Amino acid sequence: MIDPVTTEIIRCALVQAAEDMNTTLIRSSYTPVIYEAKDCAVALLDRDHNVLGQSSGLPIFLGNLEVCTRETERRHGPEVWREGDVWVLNDSYIGGTHLNDVTVYGPIFVGGDLAGFAASRAHWLDVGSKDPGGSMDSTSIFQEGLRLGPVKAYEGGRPCVDLHEVIGANVRFPHATLGDLRAQVSCVLMGQRRLTEIVSRWGLDTVMAARDEIFAQTERMERAAIAAIPDGVYRAGGHLDNDGIDLATPLPVNVAITVSGDAMHVDLTDCADQALGPVNCGAAQAVAAVRVGYKLLVSGDVPLNGGSFRPLSVETRPGSMLAARSPAACQYYYSHLGLLIDLVVRALAPVMPERAAAASYGDSMIVQFTGTDPRTGKLYVSQEATVGGWGAWEGGDGETCLINNVNGSLRDMPIEVLETLFPVRVTRYEVRPGSGGAGRWRGGDGVVREYEFCSDTSLSLWFERSVTPAWGLAGGEAGAPPRVTLNPGRTDERRMLKVNALPVTAGDVLRCESGGGGGYGPATV
Amino acid sequence: MSYRVAMDIGGTFTDVVRYDETTGSVVASKASTTPHDLAEGVFAALGRVVDDPSRISYFVHGTTQGLNALLERKGARVLLLASTGAGDVYRIARGNRDRMFDLRYRKPAPLVPGEDVAEVDGRLDWRGEELVPLDEEGVRRAARRVREEGFDAVAVCLLFSYADPRHEVRAGEILREELGGAPCARQHDDAQRVRQHDDAQRVRQHDDVLVVLSHEVAREWREYERTSSAVLEAYTGPVVRGYLAEIERRFAERGLGVPVHVMQSSGGLVNAAYAMRRPLQTLLSGPVGGTMGGVAAARLLGRRNAICVDMGGTSFDVSLVVDGRPDVSAEARIEGHPVLMPIVNLHTIGAGGGSIAYAEAGALRVGPESAGAVPGPACYGRGGTRPTVTDANVVLGRVDPEWFAGGLMDLDVEAAGAAVAALGEELALDPLDLAEGICAVANAKMAQAIRTLTVEHGVEPREFSLVAFGGAGAMHAVFIARELGISEVVVPRFPGAFSAWGMLEAEVRRDLTHPYFRPQDVLDGADMARRLAALEAEVLEALAEQGVPAERRRVEHAVDVRYEGQDYTLTIPLREAGEPAGPGFPAEIAARFAEAHTSRYGHATPEAPVEFVMLRSTGLGSFPRAAAGAPDVTGEAAPAVRDVVFDGAVHRTPVLRRAHLDGELAGPAIVVEETATTVVPPGCLATVDDNGFLIVKVDQ
Repeated sequence: MIDPVTTEIIRCALVQAAEDMNTTLIRSSYTPVIYEAKDCAVALLDRDHNVLGQSSGLPIFLGNLEVCTRETERRHGPEVWREGDVWVLNDSYIGGTHLNDVTVYGPIFVGGDLAGFAASRAHWLDVGSKDPGGSMDSTSIFQEGLRLGPVKAYEGGRPCVDLHEVIGANVRFPHATLGDLRAQVSCVLMGQRRLTEIVSRWGLDTVMAARDEIFAQTERMERAAIAAIPDGVYRAGGHLDNDGIDLATPLPVNVAITVSGDAMHVDLTDCADQALGPVNCGAAQAVAAVRVGYKLLVSGDVPLNGGSFRPLSVETRPGSMLAARSPAACQYYYSHLGLLIDLVVRALAPVMPERAAAASYGDSMIVQFTGTDPRTGKLYVSQEATVGGWGAWEGGDGETCLINNVNGSLRDMPIEVLETLFPVRVTRYEVRPGSGGAGRWRGGDGVVREYEFCSDTSLSLWFERSVTPAWGLAGGEAGAPPRVTLNPGRTDERRMLKVNALPVTAGDVLRCESGGGGGYGPATV
Repeated sequence: MSYRVAMDIGGTFTDVVRYDETTGSVVASKASTTPHDLAEGVFAALGRVVDDPSRISYFVHGTTQGLNALLERKGARVLLLASTGAGDVYRIARGNRDRMFDLRYRKPAPLVPGEDVAEVDGRLDWRGEELVPLDEEGVRRAARRVREEGFDAVAVCLLFSYADPRHEVRAGEILREELGGAPCARQHDDAQRVRQHDDAQRVRQHDDVLVVLSHEVAREWREYERTSSAVLEAYTGPVVRGYLAEIERRFAERGLGVPVHVMQSSGGLVNAAYAMRRPLQTLLSGPVGGTMGGVAAARLLGRRNAICVDMGGTSFDVSLVVDGRPDVSAEARIEGHPVLMPIVNLHTIGAGGGSIAYAEAGALRVGPESAGAVPGPACYGRGGTRPTVTDANVVLGRVDPEWFAGGLMDLDVEAAGAAVAALGEELALDPLDLAEGICAVANAKMAQAIRTLTVEHGVEPREFSLVAFGGAGAMHAVFIARELGISEVVVPRFPGAFSAWGMLEAEVRRDLTHPYFRPQDVLDGADMARRLAALEAEVLEALAEQGVPAERRRVEHAVDVRYEGQDYTLTIPLREAGEPAGPGFPAEIAARFAEAHTSRYGHATPEAPVEFVMLRSTGLGSFPRAAAGAPDVTGEAAPAVRDVVFDGAVHRTPVLRRAHLDGELAGPAIVVEETATTVVPPGCLATVDDNGFLIVKVDQ
């Protein structure tokens, strides 16, 4: 039996260790996707692959870094772990996300014994997909770039030169990419150092006893939160616009949540089969999305660790869009996950009105353009997510122009930075008035962002949620769906939401309007 | 005989320190802060330490006037003038969420509502070249609106003004022409004015409208951050200006020709005239005094590195002194609002004497919730029943009732014991074990906050001295030091007034920047050197304006460097303005950058191309410093003895007055003084040095 003082000190130390890893990663990364968009996550794991501490820039990476160490051990056995080794993995069907998300992890040995693992995941700018930065019309994982792992990047503390050569030769920005790899390794080393300090101070047995107690405490809090929800089966459904290839066919996503006492089961089997276009994800990521929805609604204030999700089970259907199998394309793995998160909230809203909110605008709404910058003669890739409106709730209007739920600390690209780095001008960046759903409490408004291209460029767009725009709650109205117009008011004006590598010419204008959030309660006239 | 006086105006108390230039003696005191009229408290505090105001040769203070206006949302009414198409940039605020699991997230409430933003035509490109000329009539329209609606200030932030300020400069000329000096607000009676503040007259004590140009506040890219900086200056500026004018007026009334100096957030001083022009710089004026005290302490002690910890009732501030310099960032966030200005890095966590300990699902938690001043810790006897860190210290015998709160408050030992015992029952812990546990958890959290700060800087805490101040800092310092492997704790004289003392020891400082975005392959070293020489001339002039004599002016240059594609830069010091013109400069700077990168991040990519982002020149001017006289030792008094718990055992522990300390003192011991209590656990050794610092050697 361990005393509560030691337990709490060890708990704080583990949480802090993860924060230190995160700080190390963000401060030393090369590319804006990590340091600006915080498209990354870190975790400190015990030797049984449970989360001791974690820090995430991206909510959607919640608690699924451990699948990487687990799978490595499942394939190669527990004796595979060696001191000083660092591993790399980006396989979509293991990690659940697209190939750009690369997890770097290593075992932590203290006094010769395996004490745990440190892991970091970060979005690499380019992994050698058929189009720079990632394709919007891929139909197979083999078009999406270099698929790695689990493979070793360092052995006994020394870099595996072969792998570094392979990566360098297969990605479009080798300096930045290998720089980000090194940043991730620094982060893993920081995790190793911190856990070593903790284990050296208290001893492995005490740390493991504290772990058991910490997990048990968290589990008690989670179960109490679930027990407060009335038993029952709660359902919600919606549609993804399409898979990016067949633009006419919406794809259904349905959730059925069973609350029974202090446990919750989420059934995701009723959804579209894995699609031809890149809208699929590995099961690990569907589980993560459910966890985000659960955290948003049920227990956002309970600390995250290996005890967090013990009362929450998730069922997926292999071969479906939410549990894809090779060679399904996964580049836009998150569009249905944003929807799924909102659906979890919607399903439980009737019994948790004091915590729920109407739906948000729903997806990252990606604007990507790439080409050769006439100012430098160099290849560039600009990729931006677009902010939008969030849902209202009993007592408050939804927030205006906020990043979507699968993202977190992602900040928009300043006009001054964008125009300096890329041959483009931003002519408008404004709130889109009236786009939030009407209601007693109004949904937040989306945004208007208008670009004028200064040179010929190749444009890709991924705007979603026109079939199921942000719904209202309790009689509130839905928010406006997104709208994208090329050359508005000109004879060649054209509307579109998704497009891959469309050639546009200097002087063309692109107006992107993101959706608003749903309203809450009937609007009074 | 003349005095130098420094003052730190805090929320509750105004601390004052007086230095006698002839004898070197230092005296500290305090007066209640008078929020309705801060000047009143200032002169009351002055009266406590100076009998004859005409003997004051130098006066410096830190003011929270601007910060209070922000915290209480009682700043000026601001019109924001923005480039056409970018008027909502301030409202959008980059769209990020700081809390991930919050369906009802709210951005920091803007200080300028959407309807008070006006757009004006005129556009520059990324190099600062004009695409669309400035619509001067549009600026005049905005000026008319300012007059008609009675705004107190105008913030102007136009796109790419950091690259070329011509549009902002011209807009400023027009606005000042239209508004400057005109008793504009008086043209309308109050009923007509659309005002949200009933205390508008207090806000604006000048007749003219404050015009803030973003490039003057922060000549850096990123329009939202620059707008936010300009808005903050416009929002707090009129309040700060009114206050400083009032202070100067009252000094003059008393026949004092003393220039009033103000602490800046950067840790440097400026005179009031400058602070009135650039009021934003005074925003965090108070707290950074402690860091500058740490800088001075490190210098006097001959240490290179110090960790400064300021622990009060509700919060714990950590800052660093590295290589004898304060750790200063080029950017910070205040109440959620970004500001681009040099600012001493203060890392704050919610841990203090008032942090509440509680049980949650069988776990012990300490803070961040605080008992505050009301009801306060249980031992205040004001009805608090939840145990706090202070209560734990009381139970352990570490607080001497006679000296509690400088003897101003009765200590309710029983209430503290009852509160701790009740929680002990819940957690099945003996009250003494729990009391030590509460302190241990609080200490561990504070140590972790320090470690995080050092991780960000790539430095090792064990190479630092821990300088502890604030009401509760010295009580916990040795325990925190042990957690971090630190071997020396320094408790300055007057730990409660250390920020004021730090201001007395600070230097005049002016920071100038010049954006200089150049990839390595197109760098023209001679051009960079010319630009730095111009900055140097400008910064020397700025020091002259501050009254720093020529022989005491010095300038430091640095350049922000990063790998191509990175965002975060490292500020790499240059030897002199002319250094970039040398032939070996590209290789030299790349090597220096790689070294800095390795030390900070643990890796570097020597073969990767670098780029330059910003030139920085800092002007510093020191005041003559007299050696501090040794404190008077008022002689040995028979120490009281108390039972104090350390590591689960009761120790008979002497309680000594700091003024009586002489020679070495072996722990366990409790050292008391008016503003603080220092706990010296068994195994540690305390001494007082020639400068009056109490130094504790910490056993590991």
